[in-house]
Order: sequence, then C-alpha cells, then structure tokens
Amino acid sequence: METSTPRVTCAYLNSYVGRNVMVVGKVAQIRGEDAIIDADGNISCKLNRDAHLVPGNGVQVIGKVNPDLSVKVLSSLDLGTGVDYNLANTVVEITHQHKNLFTNE
Amino acid sequence: MTSYGGYQRTGYGAQGGDEGGGFMSGSQQGSQGQSKRSTIDEYLRPVTIKQIHDAKAGYNESEITIDGFPVSTVTLVGQVRSVQPQTTNITYKIDDGTGGTIDVKKWVDLEKSESGAETPFSLDTWVRVLGRLSSFNGKIHVGAHHVRVIDDYNEVSYHLLESTYVHVCISRGLPGGPWPQKEGAAAGGHGGGDSDSMFIDSGNGYSGDAAAANARVASCSRQAKSLYQFMQSDPRSIEGINVADVMAGSGMGKRDVLAAADELLGNGIVYTTVDDETWAILET
Repeated sequence: METSTPRVTCAYLNSYVGRNVMVVGKVAQIRGEDAIIDADGNISCKLNRDAHLVPGNGVQVIGKVNPDLSVKVLSSLDLGTGVDYNLANTVVEITHQHKNLFTNE
Repeated sequence: MTSYGGYQRTGYGAQGGDEGGGFMSGSQQGSQGQSKRSTIDEYLRPVTIKQIHDAKAGYNESEITIDGFPVSTVTLVGQVRSVQPQTTNITYKIDDGTGGTIDVKKWVDLEKSESGAETPFSLDTWVRVLGRLSSFNGKIHVGAHHVRVIDDYNEVSYHLLESTYVHVCISRGLPGGPWPQKEGAAAGGHGGGDSDSMFIDSGNGYSGDAAAANARVASCSRQAKSLYQFMQSDPRSIEGINVADVMAGSGMGKRDVLAAADELLGNGIVYTTVDDETWAILET
C-alpha cells in the first residue's frame, strides 16, 4: 500500500522529518522561491516551479519535511479565501488522535 | 422473503385477529433478521480512503465490512490523481492523503454523452464521490453514482470529521444509547426491538423484556406500549389485571389506562376477563 501524507500543523513538523506531509494554512509571505505558511505557527516552504501561491489565501501543500523543519513543496493547491483555519487545525488534531483512519504508519 | 415482503404485508389493513402479528412480522423481523441485506442498502457511510483499504471483503466478495459493520454505499472526498477515460466508464484514482489511492469508476451515460454532458475532472481538484463499494479479485473499488467538484475546502475538513464521528459512534456506541448493532451482538440479545423502541424503553421503568414486548406493540401509541409493558412485568395480569391495579402500579391516569387498553384490545393484544376493566395479555 502506498504511504499516506499525514496532515500536520507547525507543531507536528519535528516528528515528520524526511517524510511527506500535507499542510493546510494561510499564505503569510512570499519571497522568491520561499514562502511562509501559517498553519498554527509559521512554516517556511521551498517552492517548486509550478507553485502559484496567493498571499492571504489558503493553500494546501504536500511536501517533504527538511531537517531544519522547512517544507520542500512537491505540490500546492490554492484554496481561496473561505478556508476556516481553526477547523483545519482541529482536523489535524483529530487525525492524530485517530491515526487508524488517516495514516498507515 | 425479500426486503419488500414486509411492506406489502403492512399494506393489508384488515387481517382480522392476525392484523397485529402481520404488521410486526414485516416491520420488526425485517429490521432484525434481514438487517444484513436491507439496512446495508439504506445507509450512507462517510469514509476515508484508508478505511476502504482496511475494509474486509467477505468470502463471496459481496459483503464488505468496515469496523465489523457491513457497508455498501459510501461517500468520500479526495484529489483526482489520474483520469482514464474508457468507452463505458471513466476511472479516476482518488487520493485523500490517508494512504494510497482508490479507483473510482464513473459509468458513462451513453445517451447523455452524445451531447457531451460528461467532462472528466482535471487533476488535483478535490471531488466528492458518492457510490457503492465493490470488490473484484480482492481489490475494492468504488462504483460512483455521483462525482462532483468541491468548491469550498471546508467540506474536506467536514468530511474527515464526519468520518471520524461515524467511526467512533460505531466502535464505541453513541453517548446516549445503543445505536450500533454489530452482527450478532446486540441484535441477538434483544428479540425484535429496533433501536427506536429501545430508547423508549429506557425512558420508563419496565426495561426487562421490553424489547421483545415492543415487537408486538410497535405500531401502538406510547401509552399502549407502557400499559403492555406494565402488564408483562406484573404476574397478576395472567388472570387479568384491573384498571385500579394498573393505575396504582404504573402511575398512569384512569383515562390513559382505558384508552391504552382500548387500543390494545383493538389490536388483539389483550382481552377482557372478569369485567370490561380487567385485562390479560393474549399469548401468541
């Protein structure tokens, strides 16, 4: 079975170094190839060529966690402005409480 | 008996003394003995793709269970990872990040497709899928009834929480009552009680064999159910129990007792003994 991409917020990054994760957050800043995404804390992301992030919008990022806890973006998806970030963060908590439904580690 | 048998029986209002029995054998046994077939078709389960991969297919590949609970119709969300248009269907690989992809087959309506109604969804969009699980060569896929684009990302969050909620309710039970009836466990324990009547039981004092009792009075009013349960719990009712004793024992008012007794009489569940206000249960 293929591996899952666990949903994480900033606080979970250090448990997933070297693994692919999914982050849902708000684009706080874009500077060239780097972006800062707020997902219950700021996460710095190394963007790929295809990434089209819009400052202030929600974004879903799938990427690999580097040892310095930045995320190397493999795929990104603009989610627009209507994203409930509290809800997204709650979902992350729930997925970690019920790992049998959400991850195959 | 097919799952429709019960409903047909209930349609015949006048079966004389058998009316009560006929009604129950349809609605009650239907909800118990055939629950595997009939209720599967009737409920929609929100699931994650991980749950589908963990689902167990039965020997004949017809019955698929999640959390030990038979599942047929599911709803799920995911991102489209690949699209394979074929002559009769479009196969999507859908991924929600919980562990691999699942094949979703959307059958092409040939009549519609002439006018170009079906356009495949583009890659990486979130979609909501509604369909039936089916197992083929040990691999489970979803035969989609309906696939649509998710515009609001919060629907994804919602779905993940709903899937978790349903999983927790099924594996641990509802806070207030015994909704989940795993095969054999709860269903075997209580005669013909459906979950609704079990909630009513816990509301009053006579919970003993109340579930079985409710099978006979399922179609009756709440008062009639209370009276019936009281009479079952009271040994005097074998020879007949008088209205005064019922009032004293159950706390019901006289008018309620008489109305309830009338109803039970009309349904052939009790009969009068020494006088018009003394009843005994008609044993079946």
